[in-house]
Amino acid sequence: MSYGMEIFDADGDEIFSTTDSTWTLLGVYVTNANTSTNHTGVPVMPTRLVTRTMIDQISGDDEAYVHTFSLSGSTLTTTAPSGSDTIKTVFTVFGK
Amino acid sequence: MAHGLLVKNASGDILIDSDFSHYHFLGKHTHASVTQVPDITGGSTANTGGIGGNSPDQNKGMQNMPAKGEIYIYSIPVNGTNPPLCFIKPTSTGSSAPFAGIVVTKQNGSNWEIRVFQSAVTSDSPVLYCFAPLSQISNSTSSTHGLKTFNSSGVATFDSRFKPLRAPVAGSITAPTLAHTGSVGSSWNVSLGVNASNVSTSFTNQSNANDLIYYCPSIAHACQKYEYEQSDSGFYSFRRFSWHRSDIWWCFYRSSFRIASTSSLEANYGVYARGHFYRHEAAQSSVFGSLLGFLFGGAIFGTIFALISASSFTNVSVDAGDYLPYSNSFRNRSANSFIISKASFYD
Repeated sequence: MSYGMEIFDADGDEIFSTTDSTWTLLGVYVTNANTSTNHTGVPVMPTRLVTRTMIDQISGDDEAYVHTFSLSGSTLTTTAPSGSDTIKTVFTVFGK
Repeated sequence: MAHGLLVKNASGDILIDSDFSHYHFLGKHTHASVTQVPDITGGSTANTGGIGGNSPDQNKGMQNMPAKGEIYIYSIPVNGTNPPLCFIKPTSTGSSAPFAGIVVTKQNGSNWEIRVFQSAVTSDSPVLYCFAPLSQISNSTSSTHGLKTFNSSGVATFDSRFKPLRAPVAGSITAPTLAHTGSVGSSWNVSLGVNASNVSTSFTNQSNANDLIYYCPSIAHACQKYEYEQSDSGFYSFRRFSWHRSDIWWCFYRSSFRIASTSSLEANYGVYARGHFYRHEAAQSSVFGSLLGFLFGGAIFGTIFALISASSFTNVSVDAGDYLPYSNSFRNRSANSFIISKASFYD
């Protein structure tokens, strides 16, 4: 590389460099089953990415809704589509 | 930031910000066990032997039903209450590769149980590359080389000795609507195999598809059924007969993904669970005898299947007559974010 930063381990293998792209963890937010929650204080970065993971579904072979969401400013709004069949959902917010 | 370290690349993307946590390599994990959801079947046949009128006996099992995929179960040790970020290293890539996705994430003591569903049975198994923030990693290292950052509270947020997550690609992908489109069957022949077109998302070209690993939990699922019934009555060999048979076949599909090329991720469904219930009854009497009626009517499944044991579909809230989660519909078909990295960064 002609400019930037490279990080090597003790063996001289490159571990990370500024030619990479990555995602910083801005926060992990949990919305419990069958509830809708507004999570506030979400850090702001120029680009953000939200992933959803359904949690604690015993076998995964039943009707299970995942929460829908919107992220605006520092608020992550999470909504349960069903009052009885929405699974606990973990939202992981990344930024870069 | 008033103090600390902020590293950006030439595109202005933030790579390291000492104020925030970063995911680091937790480990590479192979599955502890593999399983499939057992077929959920039930049926009853009564008095159909020697009955007239061509009473149908075909396909009382799972003939013509599409094959199920496999579920790989992993146990990932990680500290803390948040699940690890698990990337799938698929068994193969390309247009013939099976689809795979994480379908269950469950805390089990100090470990997280991760279940990966793969749409087809293969001799090889997917491998998980897992990541967590430093606060959840108990690995130790004797290395004194590298770069380590701390936030204003003195908590480590980045440490190159633990291989930070490098993610060349990210985006979002949406599963198809229904897994099967068009006719779902004819007579006693079922047609519930996945035939939806793959949904493809392009990303910046990478050098080697077989090196790519992806994080994209499965959230979409679909359930479709095929129902068929027939009846007949009349006179045969000086005896009056009546028979009625009704069936319901269904498949429950989970969305899953595959690396289709060095620049595309594809989504589709795989058959996660399937079932078949039927009832077949008949009666006959002398031509002068009274005929027992078997008029099942439109509420047949509500009536009939309440008599059949609920089988092993243990996690469904079974309403009267419902032996599948829902029918001919889908859930959670909204865009899901994915991240792609490379196995070679961590091997």
